[in-house]
Amino acid sequence: MTKTAWTALLPLLLLGACKPGGNELKIGVSAPLTGDISALGQSTKNAALLAQDEANAAGGLSVGGKTLKVRFVVEDDENKPESTATVFQKLINQDRVVAIIGSQSSKCANAGAPIAESAGIPQVTPWATNPNVTKGRKFVFRACFIDPFQGKVVAQFAAGRLKARTAAVLYDIASDYNKGIAEVFRDEFAKLGGTLAGFETYNTKDTDFSAQLTKIKAAKPDVLFLPNYFNEVPLQVQQARKLGITAPILGGDGWDNPELVKLGGGVMDGASFSNHYSPDTSDPGAQAFIAKYKARFGSVPDAAAALTYDAAQLLFKAAGTAGKAEPRALRDALAATSGFKGVTGTITYGGSGDPVKGAVMIRIENGRFVFDSAVNP
Amino acid sequence: METVVQQLLNAAQLGAVYALIALGYSMVYGVIRLINFAHGDIFMVGGFAGLLLALRFTWMPLWALMPLAMLLTALLGVAIERVAYRRLRQAQRMSLVITALGVGIFLENLVRLGVGPETRQIPSRMPTTPVAWLQDALGVSVTWDKLLIIFVSLALMALLWAVVHRTLLGTAMRAVADDKDVVPLMGVNLNRVIAVTFAIGSALAAAGGVFFGQAYSLDPYMGIDLGWKAFIAAVIGGIGSIEGAVLGSFLLAGVEVLTVAYLSSNLKNGIAFGLLILLLLIWPSGLLGRPASKKV
Repeated sequence: MTKTAWTALLPLLLLGACKPGGNELKIGVSAPLTGDISALGQSTKNAALLAQDEANAAGGLSVGGKTLKVRFVVEDDENKPESTATVFQKLINQDRVVAIIGSQSSKCANAGAPIAESAGIPQVTPWATNPNVTKGRKFVFRACFIDPFQGKVVAQFAAGRLKARTAAVLYDIASDYNKGIAEVFRDEFAKLGGTLAGFETYNTKDTDFSAQLTKIKAAKPDVLFLPNYFNEVPLQVQQARKLGITAPILGGDGWDNPELVKLGGGVMDGASFSNHYSPDTSDPGAQAFIAKYKARFGSVPDAAAALTYDAAQLLFKAAGTAGKAEPRALRDALAATSGFKGVTGTITYGGSGDPVKGAVMIRIENGRFVFDSAVNP
Repeated sequence: METVVQQLLNAAQLGAVYALIALGYSMVYGVIRLINFAHGDIFMVGGFAGLLLALRFTWMPLWALMPLAMLLTALLGVAIERVAYRRLRQAQRMSLVITALGVGIFLENLVRLGVGPETRQIPSRMPTTPVAWLQDALGVSVTWDKLLIIFVSLALMALLWAVVHRTLLGTAMRAVADDKDVVPLMGVNLNRVIAVTFAIGSALAAAGGVFFGQAYSLDPYMGIDLGWKAFIAAVIGGIGSIEGAVLGSFLLAGVEVLTVAYLSSNLKNGIAFGLLILLLLIWPSGLLGRPASKKV
């Protein structure tokens, strides 16, 4: 295209970018559609689209006497902090969204948060459990529990249910989520009278864990805790079993994606992990969501999908309460959320962006995620 | 004691895979003085070729599947050289390096679009039962696939050594490495020698990819990090030297594994690469590399 053509188009582009929201509620979604946890990005996108289409099929949202159509702008952050920052900038400055859902991993949610905070755009991260993401921020919320709680739940399961006296941990030191939950587990397990037999690390994208696992094997722990993401855990379990480690294996909510079993197969059987919800739940609202999701996308929604759906509903409700699709009003309405009933539990923000929610322990049996027990804070 | 043996076997498996990749870097550098930055991605494609073959022909045993994946990847290597590198052979060095990086990015995205971005694993065609006699004699848990990977890799390297040092083709390759301007004057087909070098290097990388996909995992971007590691191993050994690439690979894997085993897993890369920098300070052209001397 020639230079003159570009110059002629420029005002049009600017006009398009500056056009006010009009009759729609425009919400940005930052999801890892490609990269290491792309399977989770896909379920995030699925859940967001489901929430959007549902709201629009019902005629739209009633906000301050007007009926607004919902529009989600879904962008790929590749599960990289630097790309997440770019996505947040684009959503805020170019798409002019009034709120952002995402990103999912803690390291990415944490990279986007300062941008949302300084722009005064409310951010709801569905799945980021690291406490630092919301700390000291007014515009950042999450739909999930935080790792200090989750780490405690797993430590109690190890010491109580499994009667483990010694534990070993292998975690990704380059990722906020993994590191945070590993440290909480270490402290909580010690408080319960257990001893740490090994605390080993690796770096994101490593695939050979045999050196660390051999070291762990020599320490003979009663239980092995792998608070890592679903795309790496099966390899770690496989390598551990091949090296002759027979101890039961535990994990966190980073495990919850169908890829875990697809990649690991039978080797994952018998392992347990903490999670935000179980598809076995008897809650009718959650069952309705699971049925709709299954009918449209052909798979059981993982926790990230359920939490994304909850985050969307939270924002819809906040828009209704606020009576206008304006970021600051949305933020205030969100902060005042109390007793919101979602797929993954009840959400109340008591002055911070962290809801107080329960967790469940899930056991893997014949490749299926089976509800084991529920733990309330 | 059994932990030491176990760790050495861990290092041997990792080193074997590094070596299969590092050889391609070294051989290509030897003949056309190009650091082929697409080589890590050729390794990745080799792994995915193995995956697709394994999924398509579920009956195919490993001894048929691996040569087939190696053949396909060798053809890819030759095609890349023909299409992207040959015309640039006389251009300035930087153009070739940039092209190689571009080819790498192209391959990553091609696989991402064609196969998908998820982490995959080749359904294992190797016995994963523990080796009983090692268990009994030393108390070491080693599965058969680990031993197979180590020995087949070593056998491939021995085969390569024989080709380079005992055949006419190998002589031609070494001659091209020595002086690629004079060799055509002796009636050697330069293009063919270079094509064969790319074919062999890519085939070895594919063997590494197929092993890697079974022992560890595959994803479209795996070639970047592993490619760097293998490249560094080749430099440590002395780039251009076949024995050097193998030595450097086992050395790098050994230092990595032993750092984790006896120091700390936090320091793995720091100590491994710090040591390697020290090594290069003492031997600037690598352990077995020849110092570059320019004839005036």
